[in-house]
Parts: sequence; C-alpha cells; structure tokens
Amino acid sequence: MNEKNLFCYIMVAPALVVTLLLGIYPMLTSMFISFRSYDLLNVQERGSHWVGLRNYFTVFADERFVQTVMQTILFTVLAVAISVVMGLFLAQVINVKFRGLSVVRTLILVPWFVPPAVASVIWIWLLNTDLSPINALLRDVGWIDANIRFMTDSRTWGPISIPMMAIVAVRVWNGLPFIIIFILAGLQSVPKDYYEAAEIDGANIVQKFFYVTLPTLKPVLLILLALLFMGGIGHFEMNFIMTGGGPRNLTNVMAVYAYNQGFLFFKFDVAAAASGVILMMTSVICVFYLWAQSRDDLR
Amino acid sequence: MSVAVEFPVARSRTGTTDVITRVVIYVALAMMLVYLLLPVFWMIKSSFQSNFEIQRIPPLWLPSNITWKPYENAGLLIPMWRYIFNSLFVSAVTAFVASGISCTAAYVLARFRFPGATLILALILITQLVPPITRVFPVYFLIQSMGMLNTYFGLIFAYVGFSVPFAVLLLRGYFQTSCPPELEEAAMMDGCTHFSAFWRVILPISLPGIAAVTIFTFLNAWNDFLWASLLLSSGEMKTIQVGIGEFATEGGSTEYQNAFMAACVVSTLPALILFFFVQRWLVGGLTAGAVKA
Repeated sequence: MNEKNLFCYIMVAPALVVTLLLGIYPMLTSMFISFRSYDLLNVQERGSHWVGLRNYFTVFADERFVQTVMQTILFTVLAVAISVVMGLFLAQVINVKFRGLSVVRTLILVPWFVPPAVASVIWIWLLNTDLSPINALLRDVGWIDANIRFMTDSRTWGPISIPMMAIVAVRVWNGLPFIIIFILAGLQSVPKDYYEAAEIDGANIVQKFFYVTLPTLKPVLLILLALLFMGGIGHFEMNFIMTGGGPRNLTNVMAVYAYNQGFLFFKFDVAAAASGVILMMTSVICVFYLWAQSRDDLR
Repeated sequence: MSVAVEFPVARSRTGTTDVITRVVIYVALAMMLVYLLLPVFWMIKSSFQSNFEIQRIPPLWLPSNITWKPYENAGLLIPMWRYIFNSLFVSAVTAFVASGISCTAAYVLARFRFPGATLILALILITQLVPPITRVFPVYFLIQSMGMLNTYFGLIFAYVGFSVPFAVLLLRGYFQTSCPPELEEAAMMDGCTHFSAFWRVILPISLPGIAAVTIFTFLNAWNDFLWASLLLSSGEMKTIQVGIGEFATEGGSTEYQNAFMAACVVSTLPALILFFFVQRWLVGGLTAGAVKA
C-alpha cells in the first residue's frame, strides 16, 4: 500500500467505524431480527429462532398496522405537498428585493429555531379545545358554533381526521424554513436572462413561474422531494408527543407503531418487521434519490 | 443579488391580471406569516401571564399585566436548568467530536481517489438517508450491552454516530467548492507530508466551514428527542427536549401552563442564539453540501 492510500484510510477510519457501528450494523441487525422470533418477555426460556416472513404476516394481519401505513403515506404526501407549495411561494417572496425584506426573512425562518419537541407542546397548547385563540377567532367570525376539538375529535373522512390535519400543520410549520432555504438556493441559480426573455414574450407572473422557474428548479425539487419523503415515512416526534397515535389510532404513523411494539409491548420481532417496512419504503425513494443525484453529477 | 422575479415589486406593465395576482400574493403572504408566527407569539404571551388569566374563556390576546413569576416557577415544575445543562453538555461534546472525525474523512473523500472510497461514501449516504427509527432497537441493545444506558457517554456515542454522515457530506461539499487543491499541492512541493499539509494548510483556512458544521451538529443533537428519550431517560439525566416532551405526554402541563410555556421559551433560546450566528452560512453552506452531496 502506498503512502497516499494509507493516509486516506487512517483519515477516514474513525468516521467509517462509527458509521458502520451505529448506522449500517444496526440497520442490518434490525432486518435480521425481523426474520426471527424475538419477544423480550419469553426470549429467555424459548430463545430466538428463524420464523421466515411470519413477523411480516403478523404486522400486515394487524388492521391497525394497515391503517397506520395508509396514514403514514397520507401524512407524508400531505405534509410534503403543502410545505413544498408554501416553500416555493415564500422562497420567491424572499428572493425579491423589497423594503422590509430582512424582517420578513427573519420572521419566516422563526419556526426553525424551535426544537420539534417544543414545537409539539406549544401547538398542543395553541390547539387546546377551550383555550385556543383559533377557536375563539372562528367563533367571533361566526364560522363555527362549537369549539373544534383539534387533538381529540375522532370523526373521520376516509383516512383524514382533524387530529391528523393538526399534526400535518405542525410538521409543515416546523419543516418549512429548511425547505424555503433549500429552494432559495436553487432559485438563485436561475439565470436572469430567462425571465427577461419571458418578459419580452409578454409572460405574466404566473406564466413566468410555470414556464421559467419551475422547469429550472426541477433538479433541486426532485432531490428535495426525495429527502422530504424519506424523512416523512420515518417521522416520529410530533405524532408521539402530541397524540401518541390516538385518538382511536387515527394519528398513528409507522415509526410510532414500531416504537410502541418494541418499547411498550416488548415485541421486538414485530417492531423490527414494522421498521423493515419503513426501510423498504425509504429504500425505494433512496434509489430514486441516488439515481437523480448521479444523473445530476454527470451533467 | 437580485433575481428578476417580478413580484411583489411593481414594474412596467400593470395589467388587471397582474394587479389581481399581486393582491392574491399579498393576502397569501399575510396568512402564511400569521400561521408561522402565531404559535411563537402564543408561547411567549402565555409565558408572561398569570395562571388564572391564562385559563380565561375567551382567551386574551395580550397579557393584562406582564409577570415574571412563570419564569421563576418553571424551575420548580421540572429541573429545567439541570436538563438544559445536560443538553448543552451532550450536544457540545457531540459537536466537537463529530466534526473532528468528520473533517478528516470529508477531506480525503473530497480530494483523493482510493480503493473503496465510493463504497465508503455510499455507506455514509445511506446511513444519512434512512430514517433513524429503522435502527432504534439494535442501537438500544448495543448501548445497553456496553453498559452505557443512562450515561452521558452512551448518548454522546450514539449522537456522534448519527451526526458523522451528515457532517461528512456537508464538509465534503465544502472542501470541493471552497478550498482550492493548489494550496496543499504547493505545501507538498515544500516538503509537507499529506497529513501536515492537511493539518497546517487546509484545516486553518477551512475553519469557517468546520465551525458551521459544528454548529449544525450541535443543533441536531440539541433538537433530538427520540434517542435521548431512549438512552438517557432517568431522573436528572434527561435532556431538555425529553423533559419537556415527557412532561406534556404525562398530561401535567395544563395545571401550570404559564410556567411550562416559560420553560419552552427558555429551551428555544440556545438554538435561537446559535442560528443568529450561522445565518451567514445558511444558504451557501447547508445547501452546497446537501444538494451536491
């Protein structure tokens, strides 16, 4: 081995070791456990042995898990769609020079300062049924007669329910600043001439957005979408803190389901199968992301 | 740098459609600002009200008189200062260690081609992309088997592991874009070894980038709830996020809502102060690494 390679390996070794130990190894172990029986309550006397796909059959036979998968997909799609649309809009706004820009920019980034756990608890307080200013306002305007029970109303419209929408709102709120900054960086690489050319052709604001901005942003948006979908599928904090998955399982997502199976019911095999499903869903998006990246690099 | 997106600043053409579009834009902007700011305003407002006033129906939009009492009581509700200390300590050590071992790795991955480099990069990228919940259980057992549950060291060890991929990707982008290779070539000509070229030339001029990554790593650890709730969950050792999150899930927050909101304000401040410092690097640093990882 020459001196250069040796140097490279020594430099990369500590980072590689922690990545293998806390990233790759646990991921593989989790997959491994998902094909074995591993119930912490009786693993001592019965031991752990291969059961093939039984754990996967167990989770998919559980009505609540199927419901949870649907809700996770709905949650992710809604949160991503809403925050990307809002992100595109707000990034455009702070990309233009106008009086008061720095104030507006700082205000838009405020939710980023708030840790997800704190974001969850201040929204719980903001959405308190009796004391919510939103309910008070809606009553004053006369749009509602009874207070909206944001966190506890268990009426459903398909997979959609009020508590689910409330958590989507919190997720969007907390994640929006990152998305805005991400899109803003992309916007700043859109060449000015494109807009001038469009203007000469008589394009209005809306046309300029759809025919100039959006096509040029496409590579940035694809990567952003991949990142957001992967994060959304494995989302945990807000659902866990705000509702714990309730009422009636309506706000449960896969990560909370896996966590509860493991640390509440000690069925680590079932939990591993549930996180195996998460892993598979994210792998699909991950492959897409790597493909988009490599295509981007080749250009 | 001004990019010619022609709103909200009016220019030349003022057709009716553009006027309508502009009005729609302003209304939408106003509504989104309310959405983004109302929760923060409500938190701060509630933290200055008396517990009696906070329970009034309909709720008051402004405190009738400002009281600091909730801030004094917040420490009685949960051992807030101890929790904040725990968080600060764990996050700071994590940030220091993680950016240290990441910058060496990021440097060689950005600069040199060596057998296995692509594989290492792929492993790091995969670890960064796949959600943490998929490795929760083995990591928990790993830390447990090492006897490090409920120790600072256990959580720091876990955090370092999760921060490194992120930091490596970010710093690799930084070394590629804003650190000319001619520098260490010149140093090597003068007889430096690879390591001393890195240590004496590259490291000093890369400090701004490394500092930004250190701060982002700190914030990631500071913001975390999942790992801290598993690995450092007993009594006085909790981090502030776990302290606040668990206090809420145990349903204890309605009684002393004002003091609880005061605790929330205090636990938001460190991140706020740090964000103030990283603002400069936000657009460039964060996205350069993330987009071109």
